[in-house]
Amino acid sequence: MTWGRFLLLRLAAAVAALAVVSVLVFAATAVLPGDAVGVLSGADTTAAQRATLRADLGLDRPAHERYLDWAGSLLRGDLGTALVGGRPVSDLLADRLPNSVLIAVLSLLLVAPLSVVCGLVAGMHPRAAADRAISTATLCGVALPEFVVASLLVTVLATWLGVLPRVSLVPLGGTPLDTPEILVLPVLSTVAVGLAAATRLIRTAAAQVATAPFVEAARLRGVTGPRLALRHVLPNAIGPAVQSLALVTAALVGGTVVVETIFSYPGIGYELQQAVANRDVPVVQGLTVVLAGIALVVLLLADVVARLVDPRQGRHP
Amino acid sequence: MTRLAARAGVLLVLAVAVLGPLLVTGSPTEQVGVPYAPPGPGHPLGTDALGRDLLARVLTGGRVVVTLAAGATLLATALGVLVGVSAGLAPRHTADLLVRVTDLVAIVPAVLVMLVLAAGFPGSDLAVLAAVTLTTTPFSTRVVSAATRAVAGSGFVEVARGRGDTPAQVLRHDILPNIAGTVLTDAGIRFVAAVHLTATAGFLGLGRGAPAPNWGRMVQENLPGLSLTPLPVLVPALLIAVLAVSVNLVADDLAARTAGAT
Repeated sequence: MTWGRFLLLRLAAAVAALAVVSVLVFAATAVLPGDAVGVLSGADTTAAQRATLRADLGLDRPAHERYLDWAGSLLRGDLGTALVGGRPVSDLLADRLPNSVLIAVLSLLLVAPLSVVCGLVAGMHPRAAADRAISTATLCGVALPEFVVASLLVTVLATWLGVLPRVSLVPLGGTPLDTPEILVLPVLSTVAVGLAAATRLIRTAAAQVATAPFVEAARLRGVTGPRLALRHVLPNAIGPAVQSLALVTAALVGGTVVVETIFSYPGIGYELQQAVANRDVPVVQGLTVVLAGIALVVLLLADVVARLVDPRQGRHP
Repeated sequence: MTRLAARAGVLLVLAVAVLGPLLVTGSPTEQVGVPYAPPGPGHPLGTDALGRDLLARVLTGGRVVVTLAAGATLLATALGVLVGVSAGLAPRHTADLLVRVTDLVAIVPAVLVMLVLAAGFPGSDLAVLAAVTLTTTPFSTRVVSAATRAVAGSGFVEVARGRGDTPAQVLRHDILPNIAGTVLTDAGIRFVAAVHLTATAGFLGLGRGAPAPNWGRMVQENLPGLSLTPLPVLVPALLIAVLAVSVNLVADDLAARTAGAT
């Protein structure tokens, strides 16, 4: 498969996925009976007032027309206006997204090297003591919901030891970097969950390579330890490793909602949770489509990087 | 040792969740004392953020998490077997198409699906059930279709076809018995994911709302009082943790033995 064809296919798949997501989001939030009118009008409005409001908002038009309108403005970068507060959703996004990206980048900077090291240590010698310890620990880790990990960390580090703040409030007009200590607990929670999942995936890839004849040959030549792991196993397991990290990053998108909510951290996930609680439909629609789009872009980039670092994928499609 | 502990953990938490509502004496929603009271006479675990008896809430708050997770697992496994077996037996290009479509759904982060459906149907446990089913089914489908394809290509299926067995007979006598182990193991893994998601739904305030007790939401409700008494957060959080971890260990053990047997 040539690069052009490969990129074209992957892009088409990503665009198709995003289209499916947008239809799903629209169907779940706009077509169903409990629409924005119920939120905007109080309990004591008459049926006629509701009908007027419905017509004002254009909600009496057929669903497919409204979807096309909405999708069209999405494509032009217009994400609508929040019902609560009346801010454009794109403003909200510009305000909050950097904070979320900060947590994600910091987490990934820790997860990537740690998971590669743990995955290699475990995968190089399957069933050895180190592998059993790492595999059991990560098996427990992947089962734990983010909010459980986060609340246990809060209990120990913030409440009992008192070394870190319990919530991650950012002063008005400031950035999280003004008070870096508020980032520690959210990043730790994200890392704990992501590390377990990434390590398991990378361990599987490394264990498969570790049994290959060329690794055996290298061992017989006297290559051992880190050199064997880094020079012989890792280059051949890097494709799956990149894919694993991408999958974990995409899953982090869901995790941020939980972690930001628990720490009241002003990111896009916290906004989304608030919007769902307030039934602020335009915000829910805009933020979910953007978050799903980010997850898709991460996976797309991973496909490209995995192909770049693994020359075999180019020659033998 | 781990195996025994894991099984004991599963049974213990399931017993608390399922039988708890029968054992409870007081009301889980009635205010009985000051908020965040430490354990004392009458309230062995103390009270929560609104001064409700914590023990009563713990005993009644697990059922919704476990039933929703079990329901979603059953639905996802049934759908997964239906689509997966069809894909596994279908010609390769049809199967590829089915797998592509399910992969498309699998890419979307599960929490997002849950949030969107909850925004459409506020306060509905059914929306949580639908979201969890929708996001776990693709994984079941992929596992089942791979297992079916492996069995369908084996010698005994060719023999059965060769001697003139109908597709229904082949399915019943050759395919299904041989993928049963894989399906069961997969259901265990899906159940962990489902517990994970239903508990998270409770934590995020989706599904049936307050004052109904729910282990996930209890963690969220009681976080502000963590420095006064940690029990209202720790007890539900640890119950969810023990359930998810021990089910995962049991499923992993099952998977290792299924893999060893074939």
